[in-house]
Amino acid sequence: MFRAILEKEIRDLLGSTKFVLTFAVSAVLIIGAFAIGATRHNLNLRQYEASVAENLRQLDGLTDWNQMEQNRVFLPPQPLAALVSGVSNDIGRTITVTGRGELTATDSRYGEDPIYAVFRFLDLKFIFHIVFSLFAILLGFDAVCGEKERGTLRLALANAVPRHTFIAGKLVGSVAALAVSLLIAVGAGCLLLPVMGVSLSGGDWIRLVLIVLTGLLYFGAFLTMSVFVSAVTHRSSSSFMAMLVIWIVGVLIVPRVSVLLAGRAIDVPSVDHMSAQKASYREQLWKESRELMANFQPKANTACAATDFGRFMDSLMDVREARTQIYTARLNEERYNRQQEQQKLAFNIARVSPSTSLTLATSALAGTFLTLKEHFVDEASGYQDAYGQFIKEKTGLNPAAGIKVIKIGESNQEPIDPDELPRFGYRPIPLDQSVASAAGDVGILAIFNLLFFAGGFLAFSRYDVR
Amino acid sequence: MKTSHNNRPVLEAVDLTKRYEDGVLALDHVNFAIPAGELFAMLGGNGAGKTTTVNLFLNLLEPTEGEARVNGVAAHLEPLKAKSQMAFVSENVMLYPNFTAIQNLDFFAKLSGHDEYGTRYYRDVLLRVGLAEESHNKRLKGFSKGMRQKCGIAIAILKNAPAILLDEPTAGLDPKAGHDFIQLLDSLRREGKAILMSTHDIFRAREVADTIAIMDCGRIIMQKRAAELQGQDLVQIYMRYMAGRTESSPIAAPVES
Ligand SMILES: Nc1ncnc2c1ncn2[C@@H]1O[C@H](COP(=O)(O)OP(=O)(O)OP(=O)(O)O)[C@@H](O)[C@H]1O
Ligand SMILES: [Mg+2]
Repeated sequence: MFRAILEKEIRDLLGSTKFVLTFAVSAVLIIGAFAIGATRHNLNLRQYEASVAENLRQLDGLTDWNQMEQNRVFLPPQPLAALVSGVSNDIGRTITVTGRGELTATDSRYGEDPIYAVFRFLDLKFIFHIVFSLFAILLGFDAVCGEKERGTLRLALANAVPRHTFIAGKLVGSVAALAVSLLIAVGAGCLLLPVMGVSLSGGDWIRLVLIVLTGLLYFGAFLTMSVFVSAVTHRSSSSFMAMLVIWIVGVLIVPRVSVLLAGRAIDVPSVDHMSAQKASYREQLWKESRELMANFQPKANTACAATDFGRFMDSLMDVREARTQIYTARLNEERYNRQQEQQKLAFNIARVSPSTSLTLATSALAGTFLTLKEHFVDEASGYQDAYGQFIKEKTGLNPAAGIKVIKIGESNQEPIDPDELPRFGYRPIPLDQSVASAAGDVGILAIFNLLFFAGGFLAFSRYDVR
Repeated sequence: MKTSHNNRPVLEAVDLTKRYEDGVLALDHVNFAIPAGELFAMLGGNGAGKTTTVNLFLNLLEPTEGEARVNGVAAHLEPLKAKSQMAFVSENVMLYPNFTAIQNLDFFAKLSGHDEYGTRYYRDVLLRVGLAEESHNKRLKGFSKGMRQKCGIAIAILKNAPAILLDEPTAGLDPKAGHDFIQLLDSLRREGKAILMSTHDIFRAREVADTIAIMDCGRIIMQKRAAELQGQDLVQIYMRYMAGRTESSPIAAPVES
């Protein structure tokens, strides 16, 4: 009996004009997203290669490593970042490495093409986000109340069919039929990647499969939610309205509102505020210094008084510097901690909507989560050490020492060998780390599925089929 | 299939009472019994309680008092057991519009527990209910009301249950289709089915019914065997009972059994 209901549900869904139309549109969008991602990746790769070549070109004709002006490293484009951009377009892709000191990433893609900062790139995650949820809603909103309206529910339940069997058949049938059709479209899109010349490593394939599965869980959450809503409403028009409102709130409003709410709940001091604090601290330190200066007593030997005073002033400055540094570090850390707290709160508020978990989990899996920037800077600073070491070996000087000693006439006229320069070997965020940071949100999506699945059962068990 | 003797009813209403949540007393201690091989016709105006009665048998509603029994099984106590012994044809048979007639029959036959039927049997039954061969593989969305009604009765036949419940099955059918429908019911009755039919059609009721009941305001105000009505004008009787309701209070209307 379960099988009959399952088969009926699948056939009824797949045979409807509504399905054919929605699926056609969805498939075009999904495959299109893969094509756009592949094109984008190829373009990024060319740009990256050009930048790397450009950086090496400065070595042409150099006869001494001393003459090297600057060295830059670039974030290599990852194919998955073209499919799930995450923050990859917002963060800088270039880091200038001098040999020591703090590193900052510059040249973000949105910085270069501001138009995209306004409209954002169309990526696969966006398509999952919008298309999967709408597909689920369009094909699930009338699952129960639609059958009531059509009169088939009454006739079906005039038979000795337990209600839980009926709703289980409907739920499993619709989830399976629709998930498989989406998988076919996604599978076609995946095949497009190698065809368009995008090569994925084994790890990348695993990531892609996990991203797709996460997308399907997200789809399942919306489908089971639709079936649940259709089992607590009696007219498909009300069920559709309810789902539309849920979609707008869940997909469009919640993520933005959560940022606002978190911003209100946890105060993160602004950069300007911090500068002001630093300035007033420095002011205070000066005041203390001035008091000490006023009390300065030169030693008996007046001949040395000027030198003594100079030393005294130097020591005061050193103390001020050290204290300022400690103070600044503390302020920065406080700000960072508060920012983390605010972020965590915003994510947790936003997690009432499955759309948040989709965003967080897929970007973690694609390696384009917020941590990407830190990771890139860490990688670059690893390289900076190697680079600094290399320059010191070659020139005998600390890199970026400020003073360059160029020994005229003595210099070696042989051109340098550019291959000697250490290469920047970027290692993407490791797979296990990505999976670990995505696991929580994948779990939340699974819970949404279970919750609405159970909700559908419960609601249907007391549904008035008349 | 049918185990009941003539003295043991297949369908039975015992003090069947239903008060809706909003306080409307839709059925007030209704009693009747339908043995195998008999057709019980329930006449009555709009809102008399006919659909409520059928819904109570199908356990789509819980009775406030009393029981609707099928072969002795109370519908609200053992709904699945009761439902396995009843086939149902609604006023406006609605099937899956994207399925063909055969596919609809196949689904509902399987729901009723019959996995053994094949396409040939479905065709035979469709022909029996008068649906022309060329429509068998057409999608239901193009069917007229009469064609859908035929599919509905075909589904009821496929279930092969001892009891059949019909709620105004001939409403909206053309005279020929209505006549054919009644002929079909007649043949089913002769096969030994106990049939409960609600209808507004006094003529058709008279044509096939073994027992005729008139229902008003949730009560059976008249119940007579067809033989008792021999030679009498049923329309006039009906009008007289209805007039009695409007002249006096509905409760005061004569109750016979
Ligand atoms: N869900 C409900 N809630 C409250 N009252 C209801 C409900 N359904 C029916 N009723 C009331 O119960 C009474 C009997 O209704 P029922 O549908 O059984 O009549 P009927 O004989 O089938 O009428 P018709 O010939 O119009 O189909 C009516 O007064 C109706 O208003
Ligand atoms: Mg009715």
